[in-house]
Amino acid sequence: MKKKTIYLTLCALIAACPSFATTVIPLSVENLTAISSHVVEGRAISSWTQWNATHTVIFTYTKFQVQRTLKGEVAATMIVRQLGGTLDGTTEKVAGVRQWKIGEQALLFLRPGEIRDGSLVVTGLMQGNFLIYRGPTGENLVSNGAPNVSAYKASTAPITTYSGSAMRLQEMEGRIQKAVQR
Amino acid sequence: MAIGSPLALLALWATAFILVVPAHSYLPMGTGSGATFTDSTWAQPPAWVINPTVSGANIAGTPADVTNIMQSSFATWMGAPDTHVVATFAGTSTATGPQINENLVCFTCGGVDFSQDGTLAITLINFDGSGNITNANILFNPNASTGAVSGQPICFTTGDTNSTCPTSGSVQEDLRTVATHEIGHFFGLDHSAIVDAIMFPFAPPFLQTLSYDDVAAISLLYPDPNPAVPTGSISGKVTLNNTGVFGAHVFADSTTASSPFSGFALIRKTPISALTFPDGSYLITGLPPDTYVVTAEPLDGPVNDPNVSWALEWGQPAVQTNFTTRWH
Repeated sequence: MKKKTIYLTLCALIAACPSFATTVIPLSVENLTAISSHVVEGRAISSWTQWNATHTVIFTYTKFQVQRTLKGEVAATMIVRQLGGTLDGTTEKVAGVRQWKIGEQALLFLRPGEIRDGSLVVTGLMQGNFLIYRGPTGENLVSNGAPNVSAYKASTAPITTYSGSAMRLQEMEGRIQKAVQR
Repeated sequence: MAIGSPLALLALWATAFILVVPAHSYLPMGTGSGATFTDSTWAQPPAWVINPTVSGANIAGTPADVTNIMQSSFATWMGAPDTHVVATFAGTSTATGPQINENLVCFTCGGVDFSQDGTLAITLINFDGSGNITNANILFNPNASTGAVSGQPICFTTGDTNSTCPTSGSVQEDLRTVATHEIGHFFGLDHSAIVDAIMFPFAPPFLQTLSYDDVAAISLLYPDPNPAVPTGSISGKVTLNNTGVFGAHVFADSTTASSPFSGFALIRKTPISALTFPDGSYLITGLPPDTYVVTAEPLDGPVNDPNVSWALEWGQPAVQTNFTTRWH
């Protein structure tokens, strides 16, 4: 689409497209890896909501069955905390933050949050949350819904090859492993 | 656009007739159930307070600067055509974290897991089971960083030429641009997939005005009973192999040079959009009199479903993106 093409060209020219949301600036896979303490693939197995200590923020906690660890050390299960959720008749929402459904697989960039309760939080709010899903050709793809996360480069990547933020899981894992070794 | 996706039979039919009364449309926050989407809006005009402290945040401005910017950014929405939306400024607060009994704007608050990453600001919206917004907090990240390039700090600029960014080497981001977007959330708007809309989730460093799409959105939630510019709607259905397509991005784009909102300063002409409901139907409201081309495209970038949680809000596994763009 013409408008999209123009926008993507502009993004490429300015390197990092400032973005709202919830206002975020897209982080590259390499940068997400660098600023995360843990990079993990897992499957959501349960979740619950809870107020913070001052009863002013609702958090959703999701327990993941860890399937693969690419950075850091975690146990067989881990708990990830996100802003928002529904509790006591109140729904709290932060635009762009998506809670997981049970059974969903995700590749997660994580770090400790402000509240040290043993849980981890997603790096870059929603940017470190890549859903894993099966693509049209049968291979696993990952996407966090944010463009430019694949470190789009105008000099090497023609606009026409851009396809949202989806990329192959295998490619993503390779880039993470390289970034960890640096 | 799903380049290279299988070409399938996509039928989009648009009934391009102008109605007098605006009806339900596209990307407010809320919850979908059955065939009904419940918008989240303020039942009563909210009051907001500000902790104007900038010490400790990377802001090139004073407490007075940031207060003025927030007031003018609220005024941008309240001055939009065909809209009666009100929020009143109730003074300052000393709160240092999200509040449940006041609607806080804060530049140095904690409690929401901010870190030195690309998160510039968030808006926490609370609403009850009826969709009434009960509370909202707009929090700016005091330590935002670009990360994507070289981890440069991000400095919010206010236009105050006497102030400089506290952290040297900062990348500059216009505070009012971010504030105007966040206030859209404050009033109950979700993101838009229209590239030039203020509610587009990825925006340039400087964009302080509303687009036709933003005006359509806010006037849907808070209509002016006596609109300055009467608007209508376009409805239709997107189908693939005779089955409704859920979550298609449908937008109406003017084919003329007319400027129906010319009486209102600084409203930018853009397409006006909607997402299709689970049965494939759509309703684009807030359309000023004009001639339009209606296009349906997959919601697969630059805005994707995770940016708007459309599938989640309708309890669907995903939006449908296995079709190619079509227009009529």
